[in-house]
Amino acid sequence: MYKIIEHTADVGIEARGKNLEEAFEEAARGMFSIITDGGKIDSKVERRVEIPSEDDEEMLLVDWLSELLYINDVENLVFGDFDVKIGKKLIGFAYGEEYSREKHGYGVEIKAVTYHMLEIKRDKKGVVIKVLFDI
Amino acid sequence: MWNGPLEKIGEYRYQIPRTYRGIKGNLRMRVPAIIYASPEMLESIKKDNAPEQAANVATLPGIVGKSMAMPDIHWGYGFPIGGVAATDAEEGVISPGGVGFDINCGVRLVRTNLTVNDLSKDKIRQLVDELFKNVPSGVGSKARVRLNMAEIDEVLQMGARWAVEKGYGWDEDLDYLEENGCMEVADASLVSEKAKERGKSQVGSLGAGNHFLEIQRVAEVYDEEAAKAYGIKKDQIVVMIHTGSRGCGHQICSDYLRVFENAVRKYNISLPDRQLACAPVKSREGENYFRAMACAANFAWANRQMIVHWVRQSFENVLKVEAEEMGMHIVYDVCHNIAKLEEHVVDGEQKMLYVHRKGATRSFGPGRKEVPAKYRNVGQPVLIPGDMGTESYLLKGTDASEETFGSTCHGAGRVMSRQQAKRRWNGREIARMLESKGIYAHAASWSVMAEESPDAYKDVSSVVNTTHGAGLSLKVAKMRPLGVVKG
Repeated sequence: MYKIIEHTADVGIEARGKNLEEAFEEAARGMFSIITDGGKIDSKVERRVEIPSEDDEEMLLVDWLSELLYINDVENLVFGDFDVKIGKKLIGFAYGEEYSREKHGYGVEIKAVTYHMLEIKRDKKGVVIKVLFDI
Repeated sequence: MWNGPLEKIGEYRYQIPRTYRGIKGNLRMRVPAIIYASPEMLESIKKDNAPEQAANVATLPGIVGKSMAMPDIHWGYGFPIGGVAATDAEEGVISPGGVGFDINCGVRLVRTNLTVNDLSKDKIRQLVDELFKNVPSGVGSKARVRLNMAEIDEVLQMGARWAVEKGYGWDEDLDYLEENGCMEVADASLVSEKAKERGKSQVGSLGAGNHFLEIQRVAEVYDEEAAKAYGIKKDQIVVMIHTGSRGCGHQICSDYLRVFENAVRKYNISLPDRQLACAPVKSREGENYFRAMACAANFAWANRQMIVHWVRQSFENVLKVEAEEMGMHIVYDVCHNIAKLEEHVVDGEQKMLYVHRKGATRSFGPGRKEVPAKYRNVGQPVLIPGDMGTESYLLKGTDASEETFGSTCHGAGRVMSRQQAKRRWNGREIARMLESKGIYAHAASWSVMAEESPDAYKDVSSVVNTTHGAGLSLKVAKMRPLGVVKG
């Protein structure tokens, strides 16, 4: 579950999951809904992402989303489904397809994932992530 | 709403006193912060937390003079947008957040010897459509040429010169670009494979967001002498290009923010905001960032250079006249997201400083060696883009701008979020509204039209009038759009 949050010059998401891994998946889904304006994304291709989790959770989140942005920019792919496992490193699978303006809609070009107001919090229901993007 | 202290210290000058954060401790302000604004603008400036950010910047180690904010200040990541901060070249710090993600986002102005009477509405339409066809634009837009790794390294090292040597433009073009279109300190070996990979397919693309390409007419001339030096006359047709370093620059900024997160700990720097991450200028991290940032800056100059070439070609295709014959010379090219090593006077002494300009433009007065010889009697041209459908300005730099280490405003500044703008308007309505003002727009998407609607921004005229009143840059001419290409 995720929702879009707004800021004067920018945009972000609040993502919720039962655990950290699910919250990471939801954050990624939210990010691509901003890029595509919410169009349905089919799972035709798979990309594997591996990130050492040597630093804190917040940096791991920024690295995870930044890696997906990179793949999006270079391969022109958008993703709608994710599978994340976090241990000594993060291993994530992203499922999606080539971006099409007609099919997916035209959202916003995200320049980068930022550390500003970045939050990963835990409550009774699980994990909540807040992250802002530079657009 | 920000409620901190703002003391009026002169016309258009409001100061946050150095004591605002107390006089002791690591998070104290080392210098005062100053906001250049008119009394009418203060309310909207206080609305978001940008003044607090200007105060945050004043805590950076080695900051010199004041933490400065231009009239188009608005909230940004770490540094406010419209922020200027100079740090000592020996003992100061350098901060990627003081430059921004879109390194060397900037503006270029091309003049012609055509006048409004030479172009019918129909011709404008044809020109805009031709430009739209020839200059890739929109989210994730890819360039018409794809470079290999060796070539992208050349772009990062050489900047605009690379493009000119490859046939994109004229030799003389380089004389009219800030830094002649290349920061020599660039070192491509300090740029990640990822940034290069993103750059390979994006040299020569406009991108999306607030970037644009406009055919404009000179609506008013305020300073005949300077306008003459810049080759500008009333009713003349000019073309403005507003874009930056695309994914390549975003990646370089992201990569180094990551490095600087650790550097802050390593060098034990206390910061009021994580996004202000910085490192000593003499540290390995600081030096590497500066050299990598220069690569992104060079990328952006090559990018705008290729676009100029296609602008000339588009005019040739539609009007069937050679670009040379149409006098399509570059007036100037400025960057408004950059850090530069520059010489300035501090307390009567010449000093080398790293001047961070994030959403601010260099505004050097007459006599500085960095100003092209042809303009040296009047000062450096300063280009201030409006937002889609509103006026843009050509200003001149002044000696008085030494107060801001040769800096002035960069544009309009947002007052509304993109989502808000999108909800309030619909892109087709905006296009019709522009059409009724005699402006033809061709956008990659209607939602971008709504997001970038003129009312989502501060009025560019009041921003420009404030810097004019404060003496940081003086008005030379005002341009109005006739045709717009949006990403």
